[in-house]
Amino acid sequence: MVNAHGVTGVLGEDGIHVDMQHLKSGEVNLGTSIMAINFKDGVILGADSRTTTGAYIANRVTDKLTQVHDTIWCCRSGSAADTQAVADIVSYHLNMYAITNNEAPSTQVAASLFQELCYENKDMLSAGIIIAGYDPRHGGQVYQIPLGGSLHKQAYSIGGSGSTYIYGYCDNHWKENMTEEEGINFVRGALQEAIKWDGSSGGVIRLVVLTAKGAVRHLYLPDTGYTAPGVTK
Amino acid sequence: MGGFDFSNYNRNNVLHAKGVPLPKATSTGTTIVGCVFDNGVVIAADTRATSGPIVADKNCEKLHYIAPKIWCAGAGTAADTEFTTALISSNIELHSLSTGRPPRVITCMTMLKQHLFRYQGHIGAYLVVAGVDPTGTGLYTVHAHGSTDKLPYVTMGSGSLAAMSVFESTWKPNLNREEAIALASEAIKAGIFNDLGSGSNVDVCVIENDKPTDLLRNYMKPNERGEKARNYRFEKGTTAWVSQKVVSKEDMRKYVTVEEVSGDPNLMEVDS
Amino acid sequence: MMSAMGHQSQNGTIGYSFGTPTTAPHKEHSFYPYTDNGGSTLGITGADFAILAGDTRSVAGYNINSRYSPKVFKIGGEDDTGDNAHIILSVVGFAADGHALKERLDAIVKMYKYQHGKPMSVRACAQRLSTILYQKRFFPYYVTAILAGLDEEGKGALYSYDPVGSYEREQCRAAGSAASLIMPFLDNQVSFKNQYIPGSGEGHDLQAKKKELLPMGTVEQLVKDAFTSAVERHIEVGDGLQMMVITKSGIEEKYFPLKKD
Repeated sequence: MVNAHGVTGVLGEDGIHVDMQHLKSGEVNLGTSIMAINFKDGVILGADSRTTTGAYIANRVTDKLTQVHDTIWCCRSGSAADTQAVADIVSYHLNMYAITNNEAPSTQVAASLFQELCYENKDMLSAGIIIAGYDPRHGGQVYQIPLGGSLHKQAYSIGGSGSTYIYGYCDNHWKENMTEEEGINFVRGALQEAIKWDGSSGGVIRLVVLTAKGAVRHLYLPDTGYTAPGVTK
Repeated sequence: MGGFDFSNYNRNNVLHAKGVPLPKATSTGTTIVGCVFDNGVVIAADTRATSGPIVADKNCEKLHYIAPKIWCAGAGTAADTEFTTALISSNIELHSLSTGRPPRVITCMTMLKQHLFRYQGHIGAYLVVAGVDPTGTGLYTVHAHGSTDKLPYVTMGSGSLAAMSVFESTWKPNLNREEAIALASEAIKAGIFNDLGSGSNVDVCVIENDKPTDLLRNYMKPNERGEKARNYRFEKGTTAWVSQKVVSKEDMRKYVTVEEVSGDPNLMEVDS
Repeated sequence: MMSAMGHQSQNGTIGYSFGTPTTAPHKEHSFYPYTDNGGSTLGITGADFAILAGDTRSVAGYNINSRYSPKVFKIGGEDDTGDNAHIILSVVGFAADGHALKERLDAIVKMYKYQHGKPMSVRACAQRLSTILYQKRFFPYYVTAILAGLDEEGKGALYSYDPVGSYEREQCRAAGSAASLIMPFLDNQVSFKNQYIPGSGEGHDLQAKKKELLPMGTVEQLVKDAFTSAVERHIEVGDGLQMMVITKSGIEEKYFPLKKD
């Protein structure tokens, strides 16, 4: 079939083909390894810290774990500009929600807001987002929104370019109802592999543990083989 | 009302389709850097503006005023950095007036990123935003597409790799004012000498908590032009002319009107 | 607007009249054998000498490959030193081709001396260089060459070339990336273009300044000023100025530093 140069969303021989892997030239990319898991007491989010423009590392200590409410956080992958803009908008809405309803939003509300933005603007966005949160009613929850804007509730979720290397690792090591220590080791071990094999991922490993007690940040540095210093602040 | 005028959009697309090239914008193939220190933040820039391989301006200013204690270094399309910073500066001042509080660096950064994100990268402004406010010291980079980063030392522009190599090899935590200025200007010099898009002089701006902002224009001049070997003054009458018209000093009064301005003339200054 | 719409809709896509692709264009991964290494060269002749000069910077994009990579070469001299050469060549454009071209011409001029027992005349060398360039008409040496020496009468001789061998003897020539900046300066200062004798007439009767060959000292100063000025306004020119002066007593090579930004 004749296909016009650069035209997207055409019905090809192999079905609908939509090219959503595009980035505008010179755009800052989070060629990333991100993940979030459920564990016994809540959720753990994890990410590498590399941001690139082409081959250049624009930021080697990026924080891809973004807070959108007290105990609702997200992992960002794809375009840095797009994901920051989306997270800022969701953060605004969740804050308004908390004020008007005098009650903290649930993780599902946050995930739905993310989905709304990602689905309705799918032609303009390159954003792959994992949402994880803890709320007293539902406990810990993990949601993933891939490129097209669909929403998937999962036991655990991996994303970004580095995730392709750790499907096997995660499948092999995953257990339901892990303890916090087991959960941290699972995320850290998986991201360590992703960073090892994916050139677009690297730097430090950042974790956020979300439980009834609130959010706790962890940091793991490459010069200690990603074993220290651990909890920060 | 304000905003961009798109009335020539379709005409230009037709012209472009017929093979007329786009007009060349003056881009500041630039080196800009920023670095925090114990009592504030320093930003620095080179002073070369280029149009393709031609030097358009040998001593341009890439350090832009936002607020008394918030300054911006700009790389990318010269016009875009100029107008974007001017717009945000204006809005920041109005915001500060309405809240009755000194402006914050993060407010400025957020306004910039939201403005640039709206234009999806078509406004080619790559900025380093720096300043001090009641919450402390702030240093950010803002890319044209609207992404931002917060770091203790940053570089942008075509010379960013050369400049970053200086930071990555010699930066240490808890610098003082003098060390930070020396490090930032050394990073700019790396850009000036190793990146063709950057050149001429080093401009520095030091923003500190408890004292007025220091704009050190042409802090370093490592590229002064030497003496020319010959003198190129032409003897009077060397150039041919077709017709001439002599205007005497007295006649000039017919063409200009002199008006006395009352009050402090500095208050009327609309442009530097 | 309408015509473009009709054309587009044949592909069964939405008829954006002057639609730009929403994806990055597919990259061609074919090998492109040429690079522009920037820099500029310049040659001027006098009554009994010729000068060839070039900056010594080699660039690729916004990067500097080398701050000292000569563009002016002695042709047909002894192997290592280049001693006893009587022809000089400058090449600017694609440095690898320039180097290959210089090596070829050098070998040919040497062979000529061995085969004929006398040095090749500058006129003959100029014609031969043209032939070499035209032989690669459909895969050219991506260079602008300038050849200089002394002619049969001992006068300064200068030949300038385009990449495929068209050549011409001239009194002065600038080549390379800053040629458009330097050439008008040379026209004015060497050929005295647009310079008239003050008070020599009214309007169209004004007498143009008389042509004269410049002395060596003046030419050297003009070359220096041409390059220091080009450095100010062209980003690919800088680092150093290499100059070769050819007279009946031989070739003198000089070097002056230029700005490094």
